[in-house]
Amino acid sequence: MAALVEMDQIVKIYPNGVVANDGVTFSVERGEIHALVGENGAGKTTLMKILYGEERPTAGVIRINGKPVHFHSPQDAIRAGIGMVHQNFMQVPSLTVAENVVLGKEPTRRGLLDRKAAIQITEDLSRQYGLKVDPEATIDSVNVGMRQRVEILKILYRGAEILILDEPTAVLTPQETTELFKSIRTLVKQGKTVIFITHKLREVKEISDRVTVMRGGRVMGTLPTREATRESLARMMVGRDVFLEVSKPPRERGSKVLEVRDLTYVSETGRYILRGLSFNVYAGEILGVAGVEGNGQTELVEVLTGLRPATGGEARVMGVPILNCPPRAVRLAGVAHIPEDRLTNGLALEATINENLIVDRYFRPPFRRGMFIDNQVVREHGKGLIETFDIRTPSGELAVASLSGGNMQKVILAREFSSRPQLLIAAQPTRGVDVGATEFIRQQLVEQRNRGTAVLLVSADLAEVMSLSDRLIVMYEGQITGVFPEASQATEEEIGYYMLGVKRQSPEEMEAYL
Amino acid sequence: MNLLRKSAVREFLRILIAVSAALILGFVITLLVSKQPVEAYRAFLLGPLSRFNRFGDWIEESITLTLVGLAVALVFKSKQFSLGAEGQILLGALVSGSIALFVPLPGYVRVPLGLLAAMVVGFLWGYLPGYLKAHLNANEIVSTLMLNTIALKIYDYFLIFHIKPPNAGYNASETFTKDGILPSFVPALPFLADLRARFMSQTNITVMLYLAVIAFLVAYYLMYRTPFGYELRMIGANIKFAHYGGINVKRTIVLAFAVSGVFAGLAGAHLAMGIHTKLIQNISLGIGFEGIVVALMARNNPLFVPLSALAYGYLRAGADIMERSSDVSREMVLVIQALIILLVTAERVLPVIQQRVAARRNAQPTPSLAEGGE
Repeated sequence: MAALVEMDQIVKIYPNGVVANDGVTFSVERGEIHALVGENGAGKTTLMKILYGEERPTAGVIRINGKPVHFHSPQDAIRAGIGMVHQNFMQVPSLTVAENVVLGKEPTRRGLLDRKAAIQITEDLSRQYGLKVDPEATIDSVNVGMRQRVEILKILYRGAEILILDEPTAVLTPQETTELFKSIRTLVKQGKTVIFITHKLREVKEISDRVTVMRGGRVMGTLPTREATRESLARMMVGRDVFLEVSKPPRERGSKVLEVRDLTYVSETGRYILRGLSFNVYAGEILGVAGVEGNGQTELVEVLTGLRPATGGEARVMGVPILNCPPRAVRLAGVAHIPEDRLTNGLALEATINENLIVDRYFRPPFRRGMFIDNQVVREHGKGLIETFDIRTPSGELAVASLSGGNMQKVILAREFSSRPQLLIAAQPTRGVDVGATEFIRQQLVEQRNRGTAVLLVSADLAEVMSLSDRLIVMYEGQITGVFPEASQATEEEIGYYMLGVKRQSPEEMEAYL
Repeated sequence: MNLLRKSAVREFLRILIAVSAALILGFVITLLVSKQPVEAYRAFLLGPLSRFNRFGDWIEESITLTLVGLAVALVFKSKQFSLGAEGQILLGALVSGSIALFVPLPGYVRVPLGLLAAMVVGFLWGYLPGYLKAHLNANEIVSTLMLNTIALKIYDYFLIFHIKPPNAGYNASETFTKDGILPSFVPALPFLADLRARFMSQTNITVMLYLAVIAFLVAYYLMYRTPFGYELRMIGANIKFAHYGGINVKRTIVLAFAVSGVFAGLAGAHLAMGIHTKLIQNISLGIGFEGIVVALMARNNPLFVPLSALAYGYLRAGADIMERSSDVSREMVLVIQALIILLVTAERVLPVIQQRVAARRNAQPTPSLAEGGE
């Protein structure tokens, strides 16, 4: 019998000449959980958009149950029983959960929306597939996990047999991920088929039956998950051996570099974002900050780097106060910053690579000589860093916009690492970066620590903070709810409780370790 | 270096293509509205070179346009859309003209003093909207336009109530004495006497020609070789990045407005002490806004401003001559002029052509990805 979905020799060439899929053959069996993995730009999402009718293939055939189909729009795909949950949810925030579920195919009574029926439908689906939601709550009042469940219910209501989930765990806490996986298993038990896009190899091992690896627009292979190891999958994705775990020599904690006392920040709208944080970071250690996004981590970093004014408290780097100082003063005190939003803060895309590399030092010798900037020195400085950090470009005189995402990130790293900071603040350093570059960035962070730099690492990727950090603090609603003096000995489960605010250590418990 | 040269060639080509396209379109329109299209268009194309005084007019206007174009390019490069050049020109003309009229010093002191005063007043009249923008977040388009109006009224007030001779029939000052006028660009040397006399009788090309060249070099070096220029360009490229990197964004923005004003003020002094040699009403006639066209045509790069000013000055001079010497009505001349501006400033004229060429090249065998397995 034919496979449920067969995509045969799919080619997708965009009008600008980018080949996103280059003869991809991909098949899914009925009732399986099929993981689709690959680096950014490998062509996973394009392939799934073709299956969902959002993109049309340049060449190739799609067969459902052995019959060729031609989708001109997602509506065609939905009629054929295919539904997709995108990374960005498509919901109306002011409507209720039930209204969002039925939106576009509403049950009506006398031409008007039948609210009761909508709630009934939502409850039935919710119970049947174990996807817990509150039908009468408005979307803007529920958390990300529930919004995702609403999105899945939406496509189930439209009769989806095949569910495509595009990186569904990227926005979830460990507990919510466990919950989602449970739901996925329920769905499959009831005859549904799930295609699961991810680049987290641990999840591939945990949830999927089979896995297909893509690289550079092609399929590198499909294999049963039990025959795959994380290492072998990573090798297929990147094309060489990848060291996922960075080995760290034991920590040699040095002197106190960053000292934060009672730091508070109240937003312009009067919300308390940071509520009295106190902690230290020492030379030669990585202090990780874990937490669900939106609990004050972004603001903490911006306050410490001078991008945002603090409301109260103190922060010193090697004894020098840095709070409410302009960014240049903070940098001169020895702070380097890898910003969370790289394209907004970290780079000037239309400026050249060389120009981007000197923003924190152009005003000092040897770059500045008398009244002028010595362009010869700027070029040589750029050339050196391009070599050291392996930035792939024909010339440092090209605009940063001409680089790939991973290489843009390297421009920032090159600048921030080469400033020889006392304190390095890294916010989401590997977000949106592919496996190869992630490995490089992690190694560099550990390298900085080994050289005696104090590192403050903020990351939403719990596995990352746990494996890189020496010490770990957890933030919840602008407070530190827990501190783990040996990050490697904590469990994700345990940290998850602190991230959700379920557990909380007392100030006395934490005091000794902060 | 090679890359730089390439981009300079491309920029030159871009201007050339845009101007040619504009000229062709202008001719098509002339064909439609004129009984003697060829003669009319010849007046337009060759008019500025047809007589010595017309040539002089073109060069004089190009000098003003260069200075204003540099002023606009500097501030636009930081993505601050100051439209304040007009007001800075007026006040520059006013103070330099007043010095030319009323300060009893010998010419070699009075003229430099006038230029300096015009630059200082331009600086201050730029500092004001710069400060309002940087510290109070006042929209610079609104504030500079308002300041233009204020400058215009200040100019008129002083001209009409204090400078104009009481018995004069129209609103103008007396013509400056020799000590208040910029000397001719031809040095007063015995063997150049004939040439000097010829230029002085028919044109007002003054030493401002040399000052414009110096201004051009200063602007270029300022923007591409100094820390201030780097700050300016980074703010223009991404203001958040500049802030993150430690650049003092507010200070740089205020300075960008003010330094831009220096060049515009100098242009005002050129109008007063070089071209008109007296203060008249409507002395600037909107040339501050023409500077925007010049700067946009040069992509805000000082390197291309003189070329852009010469080209645009030529088109303007030609259009004026066509209006005066043919049956093409003023309205149509303005339409042609506007079309030219439109085409020349259209950012995408060359890129579109390049894309077409690239697309045709790509339509041949598609490159496949270099590596990969099955």
